[in-house]
Amino acid sequence: MRRIFQVGGVEAECWLIHDGSRFILNTPDGAVPCQLDATGEPGGHVLRTRGVVQELRLAIGPDSTFVHLNGRAYEIGRVDPARRLAGSDGGAADDRIVAPMPGVVVSVAFKPGDAVKEGQPLLVIESMKLETTLSAPRDGVIAEMPFAAGDSFGLKAVLAQLAPEEK
Amino acid sequence: MRRIESQIDTNAADFKANFAAMSERLKEFHARQHAARYERPQRDIERLARQNKLGVRDRLELLLDPGTPFLEFSTLAACREYDGAVPGAAVVTGIGIVQGREVAIHANDASVKGGAWYPHTVKKIVRLLDVALENRLPVIHICDSAGGFLPLQHGVFPDRYLGGRVFRNQVKLSQANIPQIAVVGGHCTAGGAYVPTLSDYNIIIEGTGAIFLGGPPLVKAATGEEVGVQELGGAVMHTSVSGTGDYRAATEQHAFSLAREIVGQWKRTPKTIIETAAFEEPYYDPKELYGIIPKDRKTQFDMREVLARIVDGSRFHEYQPDYGTTMVCGFAHIWGYKVGILANNGVLFNDSSLKAAHFMQLCNQNRTPLVFFQNITGYMVGREYEERGIAKDGAKMLMAQGGSVVPKFTVIANASYGAGNYGMCGRAWDARTLFMWPQAEIGVMGADQAANTMADVKIRQLQREGKELTEEEIAAIREPVLEKYKRDVEAYTSTSELWDDGILDPADTRNALGMSISASLNAPIDEPHYGIFRL
Repeated sequence: MRRIFQVGGVEAECWLIHDGSRFILNTPDGAVPCQLDATGEPGGHVLRTRGVVQELRLAIGPDSTFVHLNGRAYEIGRVDPARRLAGSDGGAADDRIVAPMPGVVVSVAFKPGDAVKEGQPLLVIESMKLETTLSAPRDGVIAEMPFAAGDSFGLKAVLAQLAPEEK
Repeated sequence: MRRIESQIDTNAADFKANFAAMSERLKEFHARQHAARYERPQRDIERLARQNKLGVRDRLELLLDPGTPFLEFSTLAACREYDGAVPGAAVVTGIGIVQGREVAIHANDASVKGGAWYPHTVKKIVRLLDVALENRLPVIHICDSAGGFLPLQHGVFPDRYLGGRVFRNQVKLSQANIPQIAVVGGHCTAGGAYVPTLSDYNIIIEGTGAIFLGGPPLVKAATGEEVGVQELGGAVMHTSVSGTGDYRAATEQHAFSLAREIVGQWKRTPKTIIETAAFEEPYYDPKELYGIIPKDRKTQFDMREVLARIVDGSRFHEYQPDYGTTMVCGFAHIWGYKVGILANNGVLFNDSSLKAAHFMQLCNQNRTPLVFFQNITGYMVGREYEERGIAKDGAKMLMAQGGSVVPKFTVIANASYGAGNYGMCGRAWDARTLFMWPQAEIGVMGADQAANTMADVKIRQLQREGKELTEEEIAAIREPVLEKYKRDVEAYTSTSELWDDGILDPADTRNALGMSISASLNAPIDEPHYGIFRL
């Protein structure tokens, strides 16, 4: 897999190899032999590609590298392929909040009919000396909240249910 | 390796409340640590000056490479014993750098009860020598002790891990070809005489240092012979007549320059090679840990947020991210060293126990040291879980953990209850170093549960005797039990008893782990092998 870079907001894929005598940049459009030499000035370099010699300056930061070339600055950021290619997270969220273990309800923050935002705490449960906050899996409206503070429940009991999303 | 994306809002009210609560705790902790290190009664300071001796901290300053870190162990040992009158258990121990080499240091603190050995002193020295044995670290002993504290001699002398173990460990170190130096800057009497004599090299400071099996008063009582300290066991006699001492030092400064010269000519053995990466500071500020650790222990928090403030570049490769989610497993680097991390995000279930066992086998196979971050209230209980074999799956986790050949390191970050303490490499399981955060708790069960259980037993006993109890009487039984238990589970009790290697400011955790891992690589890593897993 080639590395993924972001150059001025556009993604580019490439891979740099060395064949023993020179560097070769592999891109989807073919291989480009190239050579980069430092001039000794701060950030100063000379780039040789396909017979063209260009002077440029590099500023290297932790997240991206800036290239000054022909009076223009390009920001080159590295994109983590494991993050970039993960896609969206697991598809549609479940409408139900299911008990991860048996326990007791400590507090309930909403009642049926209330609108909630994704990530908002819906209820707090206690089990094994530990309080766990259960949050809304998506934006929506509470359809059922069957337990009150102090009630105990079993494993996989439905502790809260959101109204189905309108398509 | 990907960076953890923190979800923490440092402007949120609960973050700020947690931050304030932890800052308060740390103020107390740092004050107590400062007092244990430096605050002494005036008469003890004057006595040392009169004897022309340097304090133990000044001696360390002379011994260690300037500007290098010193990982001090158990600074608050014995803080809840002897009415708090024996700070640090009268001894300083730790891992430091001398001539660029990692060494273990055992230094008596003569400003506390003349450096006498109390039961906790012995425990602390034996622990340090165990650290030296496990990690193959050379030892430097700085001897200045009045000898065993006689009123408590039963707690100092006879048992397997008491006084004799100090000398036994010295023998084992020598047998394992791990060098030791003793700098004698005070009296080494009776058993104490064996610390320098069992060391490969010893240096006696003229005028203050002396070694004898029996001091002048004892000799007088036993045989009637009248003899002075210098004639009986001083530097000149031992280095020129008996051969008990190797080097005579004119001053303390001279003694420590000799010690450094000796360390500098030791053969260097190459360290064990593990995977490393370029050193990178965490992307997220470690001080943010103060706002992440909840002020109420019952409140759940995401250990990934903790890891993001400890590991290099906040980068973490999570293993099995969607399975057994109460157990966070994955790879990261600390000070460039690759480690496998196991961190609790809730109770241990069947799946999380199996995941932990599997991950530890993986780390042993590729020689990756293990770091445990404990916040564990226990293995799940109840019919459903017993039927699924929770005890059997917990046993697999213990078998993998206890059978690990790679170095292990433990941070008790919050709760450490019951068998969860065992599974997550508690004190009994040979972590190379084990540290606690100041708000952490350790116990067989939570304080409320324990107090209720103990009170219920008492109440039922009284009821069998025909006594009916009022609400007030029940509370009167339960409250003192609860108060005592709450104190017993505190980090200060643990550290007083040397169940850990010290309490840490959470922001220092990264460096303490980095030094521990680096030191551990002085010892080789064995081939993986295990006992029988109950499948």
